Amino acid sequence: MFINWQLRELNLKIVYYGAALSGKTTNLEQIHAKVDPRRRGELISLKTHEDRTLYFDFLQLELGKISGLTPKIHLYTVPGQTYYEASRKLVLRGADGVVFVVDSAANRTDDNLESWANLQTHLASFDILLTDIPIMVQFNKRDLPTAMPVPLLRHILRLNGQPTFEAVAAQGRGVFDTLKAVVNGVVARVQSEIA
Amino acid sequence: MANHSNQDYHRLRSGLTLYPAQYAALDQTLADLTQKLPAQLVVLTDVSGQLVAARGEQERINLVALGSLISGDLAASQEIARLMGEYQDYQMVLREGRTAHTFIVEAGHHLALLVRLSQEVPLGWARMVIRQGVHQLAEIAATQPAQPLESELAGSVEALLGEEALPNLFSEALDDLWTE
Repeated sequence: MFINWQLRELNLKIVYYGAALSGKTTNLEQIHAKVDPRRRGELISLKTHEDRTLYFDFLQLELGKISGLTPKIHLYTVPGQTYYEASRKLVLRGADGVVFVVDSAANRTDDNLESWANLQTHLASFDILLTDIPIMVQFNKRDLPTAMPVPLLRHILRLNGQPTFEAVAAQGRGVFDTLKAVVNGVVARVQSEIA
Repeated sequence: MANHSNQDYHRLRSGLTLYPAQYAALDQTLADLTQKLPAQLVVLTDVSGQLVAARGEQERINLVALGSLISGDLAASQEIARLMGEYQDYQMVLREGRTAHTFIVEAGHHLALLVRLSQEVPLGWARMVIRQGVHQLAEIAATQPAQPLESELAGSVEALLGEEALPNLFSEALDDLWTE
């Protein structure tokens, strides 16, 4: 979080994390499409020639004034491909909240698990435990015939109280609920830190 | 609401809080840099990509997007240096262009600075002035005002963030954002 007291701006950083092709960029594309253009910036995407995220996607949202402050929410995605390990850690730096996007397809279990473990490793390198930061888990691609049952996904990932959301990001379903939950989680965390 | 001292600001994890006096000092440093070099554009962000201030020719430049890219660029350069065993504080990256040069420099633990200047400005001079500038910026950011002004405390960070209704206010603001 960064507060610019002179400009009365409160800036929050939310990172969408998850396995390759789980739907992180799709979440941001849907948010970009559904938010009033006057209240959001351009969607910045650093992609490979194959249209895969190379470094990150970035989108800024600007909320209306709250208690005299203008909250600005910075949304980032990480590159999901295993190869971009170092980049993921860099993007995660300074995050106030995380959305972990899970591909619900049965054949992506190992990828989801690897990414979940990878997230914990990177957070630990910043001395942050999973319980120290608001993390929302989004079970994406619920429309797939091979989508695993949500209780099973929760069990496999051994979630420790992290709120979960079902989504079909490509259709916009569940995208806003997840975004709203992570922002509220960050606000609640900040309030508990200063209490 | 709890009463908090100025020290509490440090408890926020990635928390950099800039008070008006600090912001004014940072902005003045950017102005001085712009004039002294001279620079076409200087942009200061925090290391997570959030724009702090800018001076110079900003027209037709998306500073928010630029901020995210500056921090990403610097973070990547720092990591490359670390992997090569050559990491040092105040990492400086220079891009030489045909008509203009661009420096991206770490300014302490919290801030990153971009400077664009004409290729007519000698690079040795630019390096020296920018290096002095980033040390100054880092020092300003690291120095919390000992006695915040009464007017600053009147609507302090804690007072605002401690509001019980804050989560609801955020929820409503987010609902307003969505056009579905």
